Amino acid sequence: MSWKETLGDRIPAELGREIDTYENQIALKRQGKIDDKVFAETRLRRGAYGQRYDNGQRNDGNGVKLLPFPSDGQTKGPDTVWDAPGMMRIKIPFGGLTADQMDTLADLSEEYSDGVCHITTRQDIQLHFVHIDDTPALMRRLAAVGITTREACGNTVRNVTACPLSGVCRDETFDVTPYAEASMRFLLGHPDTQDFGRKFKVAFSGCREHACGLVNMHDFGGIAVTREVDGVTERGFEAYVGGGLGAVPHEAKIFDPFLKEEDVLPTLQAMSRVFARLGEKRNRARARIKFLVQQLGIDEFRRLVREEREALEHDDRWSAFIERVNTPTDAPLLEGAGSDEAAGSDAFQAWRRTNVYPQRQPGYAVATITLPLGDLSGWQLRRLATLARRFVGDAVRATVEQNIVFRWVREADLPELHQGLEALGLAQPGAGTIADITACPGTDTCKLGIASSRGLAAELERRLADQLSSLDESVRNLRIKVSGCFNSCGQHHISDLGFYGVSRHVGGNVVPHFQVLLGGKWVENAGSYGLAIGAIPAKSIPEVVRRITDRFVEERNGDESFYDFTSRIGKRALRDMLQDLTAVPDKLVNADFYRDWGDPREFGIGDMGVGECAGEVVSLTEFDLAGAESQVFEAQLALEENDPARADKLAYGAMLQAAKGLIKTEFIDISDDPSQIVTEFRTRFYDTEVFFDKYAGGKFANYLFRRHEQAGPTAERDVARQLIEEAQLFLEATHACQARLAAIPPPPTAAAGPSLGGVQ
Amino acid sequence: MTDQAAGVDALQRIALKIFLDDEAVLDPRDVIPIFHRWIQTSAVDGLLIDLADYTHMTSGPSVLLAAHEGHYAIEQSGGRLGIQYARRADQKGALAERLHAAARTLVKAGRLLEADTSLGGQVRFRGDQLECLANDRLSAPNRRETLEAFRPAVESLLATLGPDDDWSLTQEADERERFGVLATSGSGAGLDLLEARLG
Ligand code: SF4
Repeated sequence: MSWKETLGDRIPAELGREIDTYENQIALKRQGKIDDKVFAETRLRRGAYGQRYDNGQRNDGNGVKLLPFPSDGQTKGPDTVWDAPGMMRIKIPFGGLTADQMDTLADLSEEYSDGVCHITTRQDIQLHFVHIDDTPALMRRLAAVGITTREACGNTVRNVTACPLSGVCRDETFDVTPYAEASMRFLLGHPDTQDFGRKFKVAFSGCREHACGLVNMHDFGGIAVTREVDGVTERGFEAYVGGGLGAVPHEAKIFDPFLKEEDVLPTLQAMSRVFARLGEKRNRARARIKFLVQQLGIDEFRRLVREEREALEHDDRWSAFIERVNTPTDAPLLEGAGSDEAAGSDAFQAWRRTNVYPQRQPGYAVATITLPLGDLSGWQLRRLATLARRFVGDAVRATVEQNIVFRWVREADLPELHQGLEALGLAQPGAGTIADITACPGTDTCKLGIASSRGLAAELERRLADQLSSLDESVRNLRIKVSGCFNSCGQHHISDLGFYGVSRHVGGNVVPHFQVLLGGKWVENAGSYGLAIGAIPAKSIPEVVRRITDRFVEERNGDESFYDFTSRIGKRALRDMLQDLTAVPDKLVNADFYRDWGDPREFGIGDMGVGECAGEVVSLTEFDLAGAESQVFEAQLALEENDPARADKLAYGAMLQAAKGLIKTEFIDISDDPSQIVTEFRTRFYDTEVFFDKYAGGKFANYLFRRHEQAGPTAERDVARQLIEEAQLFLEATHACQARLAAIPPPPTAAAGPSLGGVQ
Repeated sequence: MTDQAAGVDALQRIALKIFLDDEAVLDPRDVIPIFHRWIQTSAVDGLLIDLADYTHMTSGPSVLLAAHEGHYAIEQSGGRLGIQYARRADQKGALAERLHAAARTLVKAGRLLEADTSLGGQVRFRGDQLECLANDRLSAPNRRETLEAFRPAVESLLATLGPDDDWSLTQEADERERFGVLATSGSGAGLDLLEARLG
């Protein structure tokens, strides 16, 4: 028997057909009848992702070793070995889970993965260490409980997210869940969403003030609003477009201050068509819709979408769902009943203070189940499903903070629910506090991870959880978010304290560091993005957190927010107070700095047998890199002082100085002339691909080339801000390139005059 | 052969776990460098891929050593800490042979941990209990009939591990859980003896 036969017609016919097709494609790929790239996109569109080391290589701490999978040369994508474990991303629209779905996810995690379910920052669930051959059965079992993994990855409309409190929130304008659900159903597999250059993310939020929907960082986001027309209340959305974090974050632009509810789906369709038609396809780095909006300008983009909208053939689905928007998404299982707020153990009270949110419906509350690093075991998830059946039925959602919430808990049942969670080891208090840290997978499983985001987050959680009850209230409610690289899957830009992994070349070794970001706002739907103030060794980050939070407690003015505090103190002062932490002790004094959190392996590859000549040149390079870092920082300050032109000039100057530093490894007499720097850099490092990132190719170099071609400094704040981000990334790429160069013998032409040759 | 027996006979994804004698002596975090070392030196069976640190969790794997053929884990499901070997890739031979092979792999890993000097020689695994899980609900749903189909193979393994012992089998009661039995005997040999008996 197979799962296909066993589940029979419990698998919806259409999903069943799609999975059959996918299984056939697997068979064809095994027979060598499908191209690697095509198959990779095929599996990605079904949620089957790659995972670290799937190229069949791993640095075990003593050097890079081959992982001899028995795949016999079979691949499942370019440079991706068939038998190497992969990650399965499971789309959970608006995070909504039923108890049966939880049971199935628990089973799948045990049978096909490593027994662990991971909640992502976009309300998805991920399973790791999954073999590609198991994915069709896994998908069929999900389909039987109403879940599709279709378009969970790839250049598609990704999971549609929404506030986990929608429908029960005390502050929302109205419940956005039906709109999120309708958008998901409408866009899934829609012919107009199949030809994007990159992914497209949609989110809905019930109000402006809170963070839950994170509208500002999405490709399309809608905030619920109403208006009175002739005495009738109309529903609509303040619609945003072109937001996004990633390497170069963009704050979304307002597309329509009042997009009527019946216009949401056709507008999304029209936008998809414009994006598919005009969006960048070849250069992935500039293919998100934010770049199209920037290139066209929001007014032209809006005009094109509206024009497209007018030309669309009517589709009944655009408004069919509206008759159901007043039907509650989930209903209470039990009749509401209040409780004695002072009753219960100390542990219960501590949990209640941080993990319970009284709903607007009297007698009911939302209980947050705090999941450390978003993880829970299959065993826990199954028992959580049992608790759900007992207390709330199917009113369960995953959150963007990597937790799970039970909605519609009777307040009178909270102590019993807490007891039930304690028995599962899931009664940890601290939801939504500084100890509830968000982290992307980072170096644990992500192919692009530079430093261990989860290792750092686990360490910070351990330390902060112990101190939670004694922390000052102002600190307790801060947010920390960590990413393993600049791509920002951990959403480091929108937290009070954000960190992303980078590396630094120190005395012949590569040392894990994190860039520290301040000035981000979680509230107001990700109302502001933080900027990097400097890279600090990974092992000193706990001290960074301690110093900054202590200073906040000591110098806070009244009930000043952390955002206002950091703006008032200024980034320069904050950076100064961390200056001593940038030091890396000699390896003989403290080798721990040369290892990442939770990983005893030496970080990176360590043969630094650099010749004397190269050593001297490297130090000059480092000098330039340090200067470039200062310039980027100065650029941020200029932006804060509302001087975009100066910020632009400084950011550009930083890229030039970094490029110049790199050129000095080959040509020590390089001048300060921007044109010569760019020409030499292009010839020596870009055309030769020496500067190329393994995954991003020449994208970072293009930041410099583009700015160099620009006539003069910009007066636009947004553009200057983007250039600062780009300069930061250019710097990181320069550090990485320098580290790579230091790891190989110096070229015979080192320190010679201008030449056409590259390093090798 | 009944359908059930045929399903169980085809079972490949077997997970075996032995438990720590004294849980207080092992902080799972101390196993992280050991597993890394195992990868470097290919100390245990299989193509060792990577390590996953789940020490922040209170259930399931705490530290996982992922391998192509099967994962090793310091495992804490059911609130009991032990070492588990969860077979993933297919093996040849009858079910009883496959169980023996998995047990050999597990006991070898357990012995290495016991002998690891970085743990101070404190770690001991109990030889009087063995948990066998069928990590495949299709071949081996958690039903009474599955136990009957599974019994000959597991009893064959137990006869090897403790030929003179009186083993009892307790089946996992929750039908939604994977089929599993906890085998218990009154006495228990050390892992060195178990390794010798498994050959
Ligand atoms: S931020 Fe970087 S390391 Fe983290 S998941 Fe995204 S790409 Fe991977």
